[in-house]
Formats: sequence, structure tokens, C-alpha cells
Amino acid sequence: MVLLRSVPPPTEGVRHEQGETTAVLDGKGLGTGTLYVAETRLSWFDGSGMGFSLEYPTISLHAISRDLSAYPQEHLYVMVNAKLNDEMQENAHDDEDEEDECEGITEIRFVPSDKAALESMFSAMCECQALHPDPDDEDSNGDFDGDEYDVEEAEAEHGQGDIPSFCTYEEGVSGLRAEGQATLQRLEGMLAQSVANTFHMAGVRTDETNGEFDDAVEVDAGSTVAGQFEDADIDH
Amino acid sequence: MCISVLQLFYSFFKSLVGKDVVVELKNDLSICGTLHSVDQYLNIKLTDISVTDPEKYPHMLSVKNCFIRGSVVRYVQLPADEVDTQLLQDAARKEALQQKQ
Repeated sequence: MVLLRSVPPPTEGVRHEQGETTAVLDGKGLGTGTLYVAETRLSWFDGSGMGFSLEYPTISLHAISRDLSAYPQEHLYVMVNAKLNDEMQENAHDDEDEEDECEGITEIRFVPSDKAALESMFSAMCECQALHPDPDDEDSNGDFDGDEYDVEEAEAEHGQGDIPSFCTYEEGVSGLRAEGQATLQRLEGMLAQSVANTFHMAGVRTDETNGEFDDAVEVDAGSTVAGQFEDADIDH
Repeated sequence: MCISVLQLFYSFFKSLVGKDVVVELKNDLSICGTLHSVDQYLNIKLTDISVTDPEKYPHMLSVKNCFIRGSVVRYVQLPADEVDTQLLQDAARKEALQQKQ
């Protein structure tokens, strides 16, 4: 169930609260209210009790929109993997909605009066999304019986709390247990041989480590092709 | 200690950070962009994105960076010369053997 109209705004685990925020649902303005980015759900209420809540698993993607030529105000764009129109409005199907019909998605814009808050809103949503992984992901990949690798538990042990961290480069996997980290290093060692030179991947140093840890790193694609045969005979 | 296939692909995608990819969602939307980061659930952040079907999703045109939930991803299209499929197959095979021991 995507919409929980009768549920009040969350009071606990609110990562970000943004007042004076207009909600636009599939092009229809719902007025100005307050956006609550909470750990349990994403909610918006206009103060008179009218509003809606979204479960994070139904949110396909979210983004900050800053191109004023495409939309006149900077806002937080949210794509929901469901059709919400039936619940919210009488005239559900405008011309623009017909294109979305078969996919069953809803596009929502949250337009805060304080544009500087957009980064915080975006980041808070990223964090909360990471708290709601699909249970199917773990089951479908688990052909192992005994010890299930619990990433969240590993993170908690390392004191990072319950927020899985995004791995850009040097961060991210320090919460793994020793065996998991060794396996990861072995995997990444294998991958590093292919990608060669300039990567520093989460504690694994190749011989030619690049000092820059930017997200965009140039890779010599030629070495990838050459490298794949070098260790063909090595028995790991 | 076993490692899941998810972990293998987490490592794999980490090695592709900075590369241009096309993420196709289960709702048929395709987003082209630079892979900024990935997490354990294969949630993906892309930068400098463009939508391959802007007529269908005009609202996405104004977006530069986005966060995509891992569970809605159908495919991630990668440049062929950035991927060592031989290595990936070897890694997957080795991990499968590792799990059986």
C-alpha cells in the first residue's frame, strides 16, 4: 500500500523536515505544506491534515532538479513506482498521464521555498532509502546455508550505525568482518589486475596507485584487454 | 564465511565508478549517466544524467544527478571495453566453488 492518508506525520526518526514546501503530483499542485523525510516513510502534509505518505521501496528514484528552463523552480524530483492518482484526485487521467499509464508511475515534485535545503533533502532521502533494501535481493542471491553475511550487522559492529554507506573509493567497506574484507580484497585484487593502474579500491592498493581519489578516474582501456590473459594460468 | 553474488557485483560496480553507464529501470525508463557511487544493495547514484526517452519523461530533463533504488534496476549497460567479462566469470566461478567448501 503506497498511500497512507490517515497516518499522521512521523515524529520519530525524522532525518529532515522541510516546511514551506509545495507538492506537485503528476503536474497537479497540492498546495504548500511540510515534507518529512523520516526513516520509516516519506510524508507530506499541508497542515490541515491532508497529505500523503510514501514507502521507500516504492520510490524508484529521486533527484534534485535545477534546470529552470525545464521547470521554473528548483525542486526535489521523486519517481514513485505506482499510480497514486486514484487516491488523490477525481480527474485522474489528463493527457500527460496517458503516457505513464502502462508503466504505472507517478512523478512528484517537492518545491521548497528554501532552495538551499535541497541538498539536505536529497541526502536524507538517500540515507532513508538505504534503510529499506528489498528483502528479495538477499534471498535471490543466497545459495548459501550457514552464515549469512549481514552487512548491516557488520556496519553496526564498526560503529557506523545502521546506515549502509555508499562506496565511492576509499570509504565504505571498513565495516566488513575480517574474512569478508579478505574476500573482498581478493575479489578486488582480481578486478584490479584487469582495470590496472589508477584505482585505489577500499583498502586494496595496486602497485600503481593514483594519489587522486576522485570519483571520475581515467582508466586505460587498452590495458584491460592486454591484462586479461596475463594471469590465465595462475591457479588461485 | 560465504559471500553472496550481491557482494561480488558490489565490488564489480565499485570498480566501474567514474564510467558512463546506462541504467534501465523495470518501468522501462533508461537513464544515461556517470556512475558516481554504489552501495551494498546496488543503489546507484549517477551524475550528469540524460534520459534516453525525454518525450516520455520530460520532467527528468532538468535533473543532473540522481539516486536510483537498486531494486528497480533491470539492467546496467556498460561500455564493453571497460569490462573484463573473463575476469568476472572467473570471480563468480571461484566464489561459487568457495561457497560449496
